[in-house]
Order: sequence, then structure tokens, then C-alpha cells
Amino acid sequence: MTQIYDCIVIGGGVIGSAVARELSRYELTIAVLEKELDVCTETSGRNSAVLHAGFNNKPGSLMAKLCVEGNTGFDRTAHELDIPFKRTGKLVVGFDNEDLAGITFLKDQGDQNGCPGLELVDRDRIKSLAPNIEGNFALYSPMTGILNTFLYTIALAENAHQNGAAYFFDHEVTDIFRSGRNLSGRSEPEPEYEIQTNHGRFRTRWVINCAGLYSDKIARMLGNQDYTIYPCRGEYFILDRKLGPYLTMPAYPVPNAKAGGLGIHLTPTVDGTILIGPSAEYIDEKDDYASTQEVSNLLIKDGARIFPRLQANSIIRSYTGIRPKLTGKNSGGYADFVIEERDIFPGAINLIGIESPGLTSSIPIARLVINMIGQKENLREKPDFDPHRHSLLCFRDQSRDVQRSLIQADPDYGEIICRCETVTRAEILAAIHNPLGVATLAGIKVRTRAMMGRCQGGYCQTRITELLMQEKNLKPQEVLYARKSSNMFFGRVREI
Amino acid sequence: MKEIKSQIPSMNPMGSTMQTLPETILHDVIIIGGGPAGLAAAIELKRLGVSDILILEREKEPGGILRQCIHDGFGLFRFKESLSGPEYAARFIEQSKAQEIECLTNTSVLEITPQKEVITASGNGLTTYRAKAVILAMGCRERTREAILIPGSRVAGVYTAGVAQSYMNLKNIMIGRTAVILGSGDIGLIMARRLTLEGAQVKAVFEIQPHANGLPRNIEQCLNDFHIPLFLSHTITNIKGHNRLEGVTVSQVDGNLRPVSGTEKDYACDTLIISVGLIPENELSEMAGTAIDPRTHGSIVDEFYQTSVKGIFAAGNVLQVHDLVDFVSLEAERLAASVSLYLEKTSLPEAGISIESDLNIAFTVPQHITGRSDCILSLRVREPVKKCKIILLQGDTVIREARLPKAIPAEMIQIPVCAADLVSLEKIKVVLEHE
Amino acid sequence: MNRIFTCIICPVGCEIEVTTRNPFGYPDKRPDEEPVILEINGANCERGKAYVENELKNPQRIVTSSVRVSGGNMPIVSVRLSAPVPRDRMMDVIEELRHISIEAPAKIGQVVVKNILGSGSDVIVTKQVQKASPH
Repeated sequence: MTQIYDCIVIGGGVIGSAVARELSRYELTIAVLEKELDVCTETSGRNSAVLHAGFNNKPGSLMAKLCVEGNTGFDRTAHELDIPFKRTGKLVVGFDNEDLAGITFLKDQGDQNGCPGLELVDRDRIKSLAPNIEGNFALYSPMTGILNTFLYTIALAENAHQNGAAYFFDHEVTDIFRSGRNLSGRSEPEPEYEIQTNHGRFRTRWVINCAGLYSDKIARMLGNQDYTIYPCRGEYFILDRKLGPYLTMPAYPVPNAKAGGLGIHLTPTVDGTILIGPSAEYIDEKDDYASTQEVSNLLIKDGARIFPRLQANSIIRSYTGIRPKLTGKNSGGYADFVIEERDIFPGAINLIGIESPGLTSSIPIARLVINMIGQKENLREKPDFDPHRHSLLCFRDQSRDVQRSLIQADPDYGEIICRCETVTRAEILAAIHNPLGVATLAGIKVRTRAMMGRCQGGYCQTRITELLMQEKNLKPQEVLYARKSSNMFFGRVREI
Repeated sequence: MKEIKSQIPSMNPMGSTMQTLPETILHDVIIIGGGPAGLAAAIELKRLGVSDILILEREKEPGGILRQCIHDGFGLFRFKESLSGPEYAARFIEQSKAQEIECLTNTSVLEITPQKEVITASGNGLTTYRAKAVILAMGCRERTREAILIPGSRVAGVYTAGVAQSYMNLKNIMIGRTAVILGSGDIGLIMARRLTLEGAQVKAVFEIQPHANGLPRNIEQCLNDFHIPLFLSHTITNIKGHNRLEGVTVSQVDGNLRPVSGTEKDYACDTLIISVGLIPENELSEMAGTAIDPRTHGSIVDEFYQTSVKGIFAAGNVLQVHDLVDFVSLEAERLAASVSLYLEKTSLPEAGISIESDLNIAFTVPQHITGRSDCILSLRVREPVKKCKIILLQGDTVIREARLPKAIPAEMIQIPVCAADLVSLEKIKVVLEHE
Repeated sequence: MNRIFTCIICPVGCEIEVTTRNPFGYPDKRPDEEPVILEINGANCERGKAYVENELKNPQRIVTSSVRVSGGNMPIVSVRLSAPVPRDRMMDVIEELRHISIEAPAKIGQVVVKNILGSGSDVIVTKQVQKASPH
């Protein structure tokens, strides 16, 4: 049975969910088709979680414009979505004259882009802003901030869902047809799209391609052959929370113009840990998230130059992300966001190459898409659209008095399941019963921070999987870590 | 048990009533952890006449890690029997119940201060305690894959040995069918046997050191019995798989424990068990302000098992990782004697004699002593040696000597040190001499 | 052939070297051939010699495992043998245990299977099981 929607968003990551949320302000039926089992499995869950100020982007580009817009408006977004966000500021540090030239360049670029408050600062000022960072001078960007990328993406999705958007997980788009004909044929006067997935068919007026790493593949299904995504992997390390107090804001060395990335970053997280990375390495497969020995050593060495406290034994975890770049290995550098609808394929909006500063630009990107739709249709606002979404209450962050009342109202708040991050049974249960229906172990992890601490789930993993099986009525062999076929278990030791 | 109730008047819409602020409950002794160390300490304290004891246990029943150690080999010294972990624990649990020692289960410690205040969370709420003496007995946690930075994919099917043990023995869950084990620590060896007995195929155990880490008994009964090969000086250099583990790459290592390129071999498997060491669960020890020994990762203590914070004591795996639970019980009992003395005298003598060890010795516990009482020195050698002497020196004078036919890192060595042995208040050096 | 055993009878852990005449291996390789011991060196006491002789001729093991529980506060309970059984019967014992389920409550030491497979060893419960609390 074909399901019909006014708009279908392909890809439920931060861009797709921001688009879905904006769409849900209007009288439109919306479906989000996500091939994975949660919304932040790919790039949206694997980045530096920085709200960029916009001085790294070329003046006049869409990236520059939307980044500055997204940055300045984020306090309101964070408040509406009830997510943690800190406008920490940022330092881009340098040591020699070449660095100084680089920093000056960035400041000029930022000024042109309209980034507020950029300043060139000296060594003393660096020490007063970030006492544990080494550098002779720096660009200080007061508008840069940090957030939790999982919680932001989940919040966008939950708010979209709350306002009527339907989320379909494990729905991979395999083909797109137009008015019954494959798009490689000629166009018809009334565009209407039929989307084939691995779990059924959908029909819609508007297809919005937010498929990230696979946006080129979806674009080709929509007759647009012009773009190729080149996966460029970045590795990160997460440092123990013990080091957290020593880094108050992101600190980066001046970027090397020839390399494609931004250099070895040191970024505090809103949870009190520190990220170091990412590296930059073009790879062949879009899902090759493996980490490598070479990068481990490199990151520690380079990171220690600007943050001397860094040691190998401070590392508690590593992860990788893959940038969906529009430029290949040999050209390097950046290409601008591609957000386009072509006359030949009306009703299809392709968002391709949304790498950094995609996270920061997510809501302005979504508004741009709405404007494009609004040019062709009369969009009626929903009177009952609610931009406010409530997050899971975080027990650890509450005062002792509030903790007391929580336990009194619900004794499940008194049972600590994840000892390292102080996550209670009540929070685990709430995460298991999340509004989107995500039922993977990684889904619970990113919603609560359970298993993300020092012992990496050594204590709590068995308890959490037990609750997951119990609450979602799963057999052991059905429990998944994050993706399909990431089965954790093979059944029981002793069957009935 | 005494209660201090603080009350302030408050106006509420229903009329004036007294609002009760949370009371601080006082105890003579609070023991954090109801595992073998905590239980033994409590029972011994009771025997010595201390009755105001509270054990705080986060699980729903006491016993600690022994609850999941269903294999035998526990109690060979203490009870002259080969018991399983739960049976060993039960002996202490029964005794503590018989002694009516208060033990709160399902209770986690959220906070501890150097002033010996302890805040707990349970289904009944938050409770603040203050004790005259606090005994840290929280045990240890496992080192993880991340901590040792194995590159490769993040897939399902990679488990530390303790987690695998917990799944199989407590939750009745089968975690894999074909496995490879990294690390020849005892827990990994035990799991090699457990998995094999339950129908899984354990292909090999890889150990980065040139010597095995676990007890010889376990090498024999967990690996040799099942023809599971042990490869020394090998490590895993890559983890492969899309969503569930599909295989690992193994390399030989050189004298500096670095992978030798060109020696890579692939093993297909769906499960990787990681058994690369235990670390004391020292989060609360640090929160309480106790100084930590970077060699043991546990608190620095004197012969009374008192940490650098007055009135806070530590014993068991949280102090130093043990290999025999019988020794844990003995250590906890010695600690209990000290705590009893501490309560009586409200302070213990200063321990001004530091104990240093040479490069062949990984660590010693205690790290400093008073020199006024007899004590037991626990230590481990860094590498296996045959026919050696452990010599304790003050200056050039040998104050104690122990001859050993062999010594391995896996087996803790305990040497009695008597006050009468000492010739001065100088620091003590512990050295290893080959014969 | 020479083989070195680490004795496990007492904490000393003597390394005992054994020289035998026939090639010996595990029972599953040459079940009919019992090694002839030529020499035992390195044992500090008679118990060590006896241990090694036993290991060569008739190695014995205590098997520990779990059995299913019905109506209890835990799904499985740990069990062990009250006495060692020949090493080559370990897997048979495990196979027997697969089919066994006990009713809660159960006490430590409770016999689950008497004289399993005619070995002379009982299978006993090693953890207290209570009836499941009504949910």
C-alpha cells in the first residue's frame, strides 16, 4: 500500500530533522525516511559539536551566510528544544608570523561575513581566557559555542514528530519514480514522486534530499548527475572528564591552507569531557568508520603542543565521523552548500555536501528550503504548532533538593544504573520509551549519557540491556547495538 | 545510631508547619561496598566490639563481584575447600546477618567528603551520613578496549571479560559463538573455559607480554584442558566488521611491545573478549581527597590501611587488585583491627617510614609505615623470575629477607615486617635479587 | 617425552618436570595409551608427585556451570560438582545440565542431580534462590 504525504524528507539527521521541524509549522503532511535505526547514526552523531561563528567560510557563500544566521539565533533554538548549549567563545592560536597572517586572514573573513566581536588577542589575553592553552597570539571568537550534537538532532526530530511529522526508521530509499515513470525518462507536466524503499512505497509532491553521505546517490535517482560525495574521515578522541576543568573553550591551531580539515582541534563538550580531533583522510567507503593507529599517535602529539596536559592515558574513547565532501582528494579545500531545485525536476530539493558548518546552519538551511517551497505553494501556518520540546530530565545536573523530590515522586530516580555518569533507572526507562520509538542500545546511550563514562558500560551495560529487553519485549538475539545486524547476543545460555 | 534533625519553620499555604531539612545520620563506621572486603571488615569489627556499622551496597544483594564468579577455587586457604564465588560470599553474608550488621542494598554513594560525610541515593531518597571512620571497599573495574586504543571498527561483539561473565552467569545470555581473547588475565582465562563449556569455539588467547598474566592453575584448567592456544608477545591490531564483529588482525610484538609489521594474521570470529587488567574503582577515593598511588591506582595507605585522609581506610580490590579472595578477607580483617583501634584512640600514629621499591617490583602496599607495629607487606614482581630473594633494606642493613623458588606477577607476595626488624626510622627499600 | 606441570595443590606452585616413555597427549588422542612415568623432578613434597601422576593418568576436574530456574528471582543459578570427575567427562556433564531445571526456592548445597552420570559426584546449587516476588 502506497503511503501518501505532502512532503517527504530523505534522511533524518540534523538537516533532515531541522527541515521536518520547519515543515511541521505548516499544514502539510510530512514523512521522514531514515535508513538507519536512529536519527544521529551518521554524520549528525559524529562531529565536533561546535556552533561555529562563521569566520572559516568564504565571504558571499551560502555557508558563510547561513552559519552566521544559525549561530546568532541559537540561544533561542536551544531554549525551545531544551538542549544544553554553551556560548564558550573560541581561540584560534598561533606561534609565528605565518600563523599571524593566517589569523588576520580569518578575522578579515569573519568581519566580512558579519561575525560579531572577533578580536586579535595577545599571549596575556590568551592566558586570561584559557589558562591551559599555549599560544603567542590568537583570534578570539566570542560567538562560538558548544552543544551536544546527539541531543540537538534528537530534539529536532522529537519536536518535528510532536508536531505531526512521521518518522520511518529502517527505510532506505532504493528508487524514485515520477508519475509512474523512472526519472531517467522525460519529464511530465505534473511532477509527483513515487519513492520506493526497502519497506514499502511512498508518494509525494515534495522530495527533500537530506541524505548526507548518500545525497549524491539520491540526487541521481532524482535525475541530477552533477555531484559526487567524497567521503573524508575524521578521527576523534574523547578525554576523561578529569581534564575538563582545564579547557574552558575550543582551542584550535591556525589551519593549514593546503589541508582540507581545520587542524587538530581541542573542544570541550557540554558534558565536561574534551574532544581532540578530527584528523582528515579521504577514504573509499562511505561507511568505513574504523579508527587507525597512525591517527591515534598523531592526534596525541599535535594536541599536546597546544594543550600540554594531554597524555595518552587521558583517553577514554575514540570515534570517527565522515565528512560528505563535494571536493575530492586532489582538489582539497571547500565547496559551498548545494541547496537546489531544478526546473526540470520541480518538487525535488537536493541538499548536497552539507559538511561543516552544517550543524550550525541547520535551521537557516531548513528555512531556505521552506522558502523554496513557499515560492510555489501557499503555506498555511498551523495554529497549534509548538516549538517547545522537553528533554529527558538529567538527574545528575539537579540540586540535591530537586533530586530528593524526584526520588520521592518516583523511586526509580533513586536507583543509579550508570555509576560513572550518575544516570538513574527512571531516565533509562524514559529513554527506552522515547517518542521516536528508537530501541537500540546506542539510542539509550546518546539520550542519557549512560555507558559514556570512565568504565564505558562495564557496570551498567548488562542492566540496561536487561531493561531494554523487558520494556520492548525483545529476545536476546533481537537486541541491537546501533545498526541492523549489530546483534549483541546469540540467545540464552539455558533455554526453557 | 544518632540522628540530627534540623528544623526551620516555613510558611506554606496550608498553614504553618515545620519543614524538616534532611537529617544527617551518624555512624561509627560506614563501609562502602558489601563485597568480600566490606563484609569481612564488618564481621571482624563486630567481633572486636564495634557495633555501630553500616554497609552501603549498590546491588540488590551483597557479595560483590563474587556473585558472578561461579567457578571454584575460592577459599582454598581460608576454608580448605574449593568453593565457588557465591558460596564464599554466602559464608560471610550469613555471618553478617547472624551478627545483625546493618546492610543497605540498592543504595549508591553519590558523594563523599574528606570530612567523612557520605550522601547516598536509593529508592527511599537521598540520605546524608557522617561517620567517625569510613572504609572504602568498592572493588575494581576493568580496563576497556578504548583505554588501550585498539584501532578498527566499533562493532557489536566486543566485550570485556567481566561483562561477558555477567551476561552469561547472571543474565543467562549467550554473547557469542566463535571467540578470540585478548589478554591472559584470570578473568579472560575463566571466560575461555566458560564459553567453551557452553558450546562456543574459543580460537586463541593473545597476550602482549612475553609471559602469561593469569595464575598457572587457570592456564592449565582453562586453556590446556581445551587445547586453546596461548600466543605470548602478540596483540590485536585491528578489529573488523560492519555491524557485528567479523574478525580481528593479530600481530607479534617486539621487546618494546610494539607490533611488528609483516607479522599480521587474521582470525575470523564474532566475539572478542578483552581481559587486559583491572583498575581500582577509585572515583570515590579521589572524591574523598585520598592520595592515589599511580602504581596501584588505589589509595596510598599505611600499615593501618588508613589513607592520607584521617579516618578513611581502604582494603580489598579498591586498594590493590588481588588474585586470591582469601587474602582480601585477611586484609579487610587487619583493617578492621586498625579501625577498632582508631575509634578507641581517635587517631593512629603517624607513619613516617616510606617504602620504596626497585624497578623489578611493581608496587608495595602499604606505602609507608610507623615502624612501631608488625605488619604485612604486599607486593608483586614486574616479570616472572625463578629463584630469587626479596630483600628489605634500611640504608645498607638488611632487615628482612624472603627466599622464593619462583615469583610471577600474577601471584601477590606477602612478607611479614616486624617492628623489631627495623633498625632506624629511615625509609625502607625493597629490592629483588636473583640467585 | 618431557612435560612441565605447575602444581596447584599449595601456594608454592612447584614446577614439576615429568619424563615419560610413550608419547602421551590428551585422552582424546590416544585413549588406550597410558604414559609410563620415568622420572619426576621438582616436587617439594609427595602431594605434588601425586598431583602430577594423577594429571597424567586420570586428570580430574570440578565442573561449574548453571541450570535453569523456574519461578525464581533469577533465571539461572550457578552449580558445581561436589567432587571432581574425570576430565574427559566434563562435556558430558555439561550436556546433562543443559536439560535440567529446578524450582525456586533453592538453598546453597542443595543437590540438583545425585551421582551424575555415575561419577560419584553430585551437582549442588551454589547460590541461594528465592521465589520470584510478585510484580
